[in-house]
Amino acid sequence: MDLDLNEAQLEFRDEVRAWLRRNVGTEPLAPSSTPEGFAAHRAWERRLYEAGYAAISWPRVYGGRDADLLNQTLFDEEYARAEAPARINVLGLGLAGPTLMTCGTPAQCQRWLPSILSCEQIWSQGFSEPDAGSDLAALRTSARREGDAFIVNGQKVWTSLGRFADWMFTLVRTDPQAPKHKGISFLMIDLHRPGVSVAPIRQLNGDAGFAEVFLDDVAVPIDNLVGELNDGWRVAMTTLSFERGTGLGNHLRFSRDLQALVRLVRAAGAADDPLVRDRVAQLYIETEVFRHHSYRALTRLVDGKPIGPEASLTKLYWSEMEARIFDAGMRVMGPYAELTSDAEQAIDHQHWQARYWYSRASCIYAGTSEIQKNIIAERVLGLPRQPRG
Amino acid sequence: MRFDYSDEQYQLRDVARDFFAKECPPAAVRAAWDHDTARDSQRWRKMAEMGLVGLTVPTQYGGLGLHEVDLVLLLEEAGRAALPEPLAETTAIAVPTLVEAGTPVQRDEWLPRIAAGDAVATVQLAGTPSAQAAVVGSALVSAAHIADLLLTESGGELHAVPAGRFEAVAQPSMDGARRLFTVRAETGDDTRMDGGVEAAGKAFDRGAWATAALLNGVAQRLLDMTVAYVQERWQFGRPVGSFQAIKHKLAETLLVVETSKAATAYAAYALASGRSDRAEAVSVAKAYASDAAHKANTEALQCHGGIGFTWQHDLHLWLKRGKALEQAYGSATWHRARIAERLFA
Repeated sequence: MDLDLNEAQLEFRDEVRAWLRRNVGTEPLAPSSTPEGFAAHRAWERRLYEAGYAAISWPRVYGGRDADLLNQTLFDEEYARAEAPARINVLGLGLAGPTLMTCGTPAQCQRWLPSILSCEQIWSQGFSEPDAGSDLAALRTSARREGDAFIVNGQKVWTSLGRFADWMFTLVRTDPQAPKHKGISFLMIDLHRPGVSVAPIRQLNGDAGFAEVFLDDVAVPIDNLVGELNDGWRVAMTTLSFERGTGLGNHLRFSRDLQALVRLVRAAGAADDPLVRDRVAQLYIETEVFRHHSYRALTRLVDGKPIGPEASLTKLYWSEMEARIFDAGMRVMGPYAELTSDAEQAIDHQHWQARYWYSRASCIYAGTSEIQKNIIAERVLGLPRQPRG
Repeated sequence: MRFDYSDEQYQLRDVARDFFAKECPPAAVRAAWDHDTARDSQRWRKMAEMGLVGLTVPTQYGGLGLHEVDLVLLLEEAGRAALPEPLAETTAIAVPTLVEAGTPVQRDEWLPRIAAGDAVATVQLAGTPSAQAAVVGSALVSAAHIADLLLTESGGELHAVPAGRFEAVAQPSMDGARRLFTVRAETGDDTRMDGGVEAAGKAFDRGAWATAALLNGVAQRLLDMTVAYVQERWQFGRPVGSFQAIKHKLAETLLVVETSKAATAYAAYALASGRSDRAEAVSVAKAYASDAAHKANTEALQCHGGIGFTWQHDLHLWLKRGKALEQAYGSATWHRARIAERLFA
């Protein structure tokens, strides 16, 4: 056990820190949910790419730096410390890319990875459907083979970045006769193809971050199938393990949120309230414990121990913690919590309110907290599966 | 940078686990409840022969010369076994305090005897926070009846007091394998240690950290027993562990117990490497471990149902050890208050 950085790690950290200091602007970019904000974020991604920072943990052959997870964590820490812009192609860089590297063919990797890395193509995730949320395997979007293509029909929902995305990695039903987990395939769909229509969904926080995607006789070349036909569930589980494992590099963001909470408490004159102190201390403890948990999990990954269903522990932990941090902020703000950011009396641009609502989404997306608990109970603790329809 | 135990440290855990499985099964813990001292001196001697008691004793005094990061998994196993003997008091608190704050004479006298299994130590620290102690006037001390050496804090100084110069009055308590006492010690120039308040504060932090490690083991055992029980117990034609209401309780418990171990590991590292955030790391670990063990305690009894509420079932051996340790060396609330002092300084 040794938390000191070696020389190479220190050098890398200093390099990243210096680059971010030179390149991150003093003013935050416009929100990525608006077209001009999205363009600004895309330009930022381009700069990261040109500097070699788009996805440092990717293999060198695909434009990454072969960085191990600890270096990735150092990068994430510096990125959070610099308050650099939110990443917009996280679904491409974090999910589609790693899924392709794990389950795709070399040709598929050659075809898609470069444009994911450069952010020329934005990716979205087409898993959930109106009647297939937590019970994802109940999905009904169909793909039937016709010559060299699949003809896809159906509807996807909660498609993050759907409005701005060029591609969507999608689960489709290719064998309606098979048991529900056995008849699913994993397809890459070009959202600019005829038959695709995208309708933004206004979220409860006012943003239009995700969308519904309607697929009406969309012809998708068979080369876009990732993994074997009808083996898409396994591919999707690979993707979900990346999704639930992410968050490990985010511990510094939560620590910064906690520091901001302490400042908010002081500004509100509540620093002597013993109940507030107890609450804030508890949240501080939780952010620290998450940092230790993250370092331990990362070390085990670096040592080559697979993370498996334990990824659900990480996702459950940080999402619930995040919700508690911002809930505490809302409580400290008292009646001012109600204002919107354009109010004269707004506090910190009502950042606490915005993050509060979004933290509630964190407990729902990528598998609700309840689904994570089922996974932990059945696949980590080994409790008997409950009867499923 | 590497934040996990080494293969050797995991091997030591496995050795300890096998040893406790054989030498400290539930029947032995139960026997300790009925024993007049709750101590099995043969077991202690064997632990000393294996090097476990002298793990932190420097090699020139006959120990293994290891530190907190090597010790943490052993303490976790001791908690998992509900070991009755004062391993935390002796090996985690008294030994490093003697090494750092003892006089040369005290070190020469006690360290070899402890490593050989010939002396048991316990500690009484004024830093132990308790509203009751302020009223009653004395902190509670575990295992004072069998201790050959008492480290006690008096007027901002630490003293190493040999048996014969302190008097222990039993205070019957709920965990029959962990005996508590009030102690009156006769200190003098010949018992004074070096280091003063600083050393006493560090000894207290060692106690809080070691208690967190024990609690993680207790909580893990409670969880393991419960996971096994809910698969054996059938109601409504299926194992009760197949019901989501039960699963979610146990998933939440695993989450806090697993993450608590990471926090305790960091506190061990902070102690062993002399980091400046030691006190804070210890408070994070102890507050979180107390709450994690509280959760495990609550859910274990609830999921066992009626059988868990009986004297005959072994569950209560761990329920009571957990409840005892939750409050020892500062409750979760006390440690959060200590953290708030720093956050709002």
